[in-house]
Amino acid sequence: MVEKLTKVNFTNLDKVLYPKLGVTKAQFIEYYIKMAPRMLPFLKDRPLVLTRYPEGVDKEGFYAKNAPEGMPDWVKTIKLYSHSARHNVNYIICNDLDTLIWLANLAAVEIHMPLSRMDDREKPDFVFFDVDPEEPCTVDNAAEVGLLLKEKLDTIGLKSYVKTSGKKGLHVLVPIVRKYTFEETRAFVHALGIQLMKESDKVVSEFSDTKKPDRVFVDYLQNSLGRTMVCPYSFRVTPDASVSTPVEWDDLKKKIKPAEFNIHSVPGLRKDPWKNIFDNPQTLEEKTFGEKT
Amino acid sequence: MEKKPKRAKKQQTVLQTKKPAEKAEETEKESSTAKKTATPRRPIWSGSITIGLINVPVKLYAMIYDRGVTFHFLHKTDNAPLKYEKVCTKDGKLVPWTEVVKGYEFSKNQYVIFDKEELDAVKPESDRRIRIDKFVDFFSVDPVYFYSTYALLPDKSADAYALLLQSLEKLGKAGAGRITLRTKEYPALVHAYKGAIVLTTLRYSYDVVDPSRFEELSELKEPQGSEVELARKIITDLSGEFDITQYKDNYRLKVEELLKKKLKGETIVVEKPPKEEVKGLMAALQETLKQLEKK
Repeated sequence: MVEKLTKVNFTNLDKVLYPKLGVTKAQFIEYYIKMAPRMLPFLKDRPLVLTRYPEGVDKEGFYAKNAPEGMPDWVKTIKLYSHSARHNVNYIICNDLDTLIWLANLAAVEIHMPLSRMDDREKPDFVFFDVDPEEPCTVDNAAEVGLLLKEKLDTIGLKSYVKTSGKKGLHVLVPIVRKYTFEETRAFVHALGIQLMKESDKVVSEFSDTKKPDRVFVDYLQNSLGRTMVCPYSFRVTPDASVSTPVEWDDLKKKIKPAEFNIHSVPGLRKDPWKNIFDNPQTLEEKTFGEKT
Repeated sequence: MEKKPKRAKKQQTVLQTKKPAEKAEETEKESSTAKKTATPRRPIWSGSITIGLINVPVKLYAMIYDRGVTFHFLHKTDNAPLKYEKVCTKDGKLVPWTEVVKGYEFSKNQYVIFDKEELDAVKPESDRRIRIDKFVDFFSVDPVYFYSTYALLPDKSADAYALLLQSLEKLGKAGAGRITLRTKEYPALVHAYKGAIVLTTLRYSYDVVDPSRFEELSELKEPQGSEVELARKIITDLSGEFDITQYKDNYRLKVEELLKKKLKGETIVVEKPPKEEVKGLMAALQETLKQLEKK
């Protein structure tokens, strides 16, 4: 009688997932439904890793790589060997709205995606700079480093895109032609990190300096098979139901407050600075800064 | 002096329309399980359309049905239908029809009494004519006045009917005039609709409130330039063709479904009505599906 708009059967819609804001699972799912047109192009053909908080973000959650048992037969999965888990994992692939809604109904608060797609997992389709400020550094320091990084990329003719991590970090992407190995992209990011270190006292980019206080770590190690980035517009596990949100570079010049990009504000954002960013993949030749790791 | 009789008349109208409404309910019962509204077999009225000296004999059929779901109140213990009784508010006793008069409440608890003869004397007589005064552009009539529509079919002479129908269709005009249905006189339009002549009864101008008289509207502020542009964009983006068939009375459809099962003796699983929150999700879904379709 009522037109069936989705194959998903909703459960526990009254469950409060974000207690501070009183966000129910119904609102949570509604957010993902609204953002689906912006998220699906990123998720397509990538085996996903989730963090699920069925009891709410203040209660215990869990990492989920393996698709849950008893899932509907229309959910697409792929069996792959996981190096970290050391066995085969049945990963979820989210290529359509129903699957995204189903993930939302599983209380998949964070949706993490690898940097490459299923058909050629060894060749990433973007280069990823994870700009991560360590206390007492704040998002403002991350923004300074981010803008410096953008300037560097501009001078070598690469167009870059930035999003908030949803916490205090920033994620910078350069979409590339799918012909470089992770080793190559990792070397490229590391080389740029080293350049930035020379120009700013705040920046560190060596593995040994991870978590070094009062520094901004430009992480190149995420550019690896089996590593992931939180998907644009995914929720984060924060009290404020914040969202990893694509922004314009100019937005970083004003002080941004990542917590203000959340379930209530983000669906109302009219511009989508990451729209169609994979349409113009770029090449890295002659732009690589020599040093390989 | 002007005001009172008018209000009195209105009161009278309300009392009188009770009966036709009940009748309509009966028709509804007959057709409630049928999928489509059946074509009515008996005319409600017959007479003629009068244009100057020309008469076009017609029969008038119901065309609009209010297909809500009607239930009857039954006594829970023995399923006997309940009936309404008139009870005196003073002594609590039943009052037979012979002791009922009509009273118009002109102020709280104060009535002017009318007896049947007095009211009958001023009732309009149906003279079996739809008198057309002039022809107007159909679309020049404000739809807010539209009351109900009836089909007019040829009676005896089909030639005059065919000529009028074709003329109305070609010119896009509507005959404006009056009709007395039962005991009420209505302003009315006679116009062509889907290959038939139809009659649309109208409300009186004084029965429609001019909304600009609401005080709240005098305090409206002038919208700002950028907002105007945004509003214009939203409206343009959402513009489309109106399709009435997209709207369904879901409550009625569900009740009919239940009814079918009950008649077959099947057990009925009472489905929980979708909560408010699911409705929100469905609205968001519809919007998103539309967006995804565009891509």
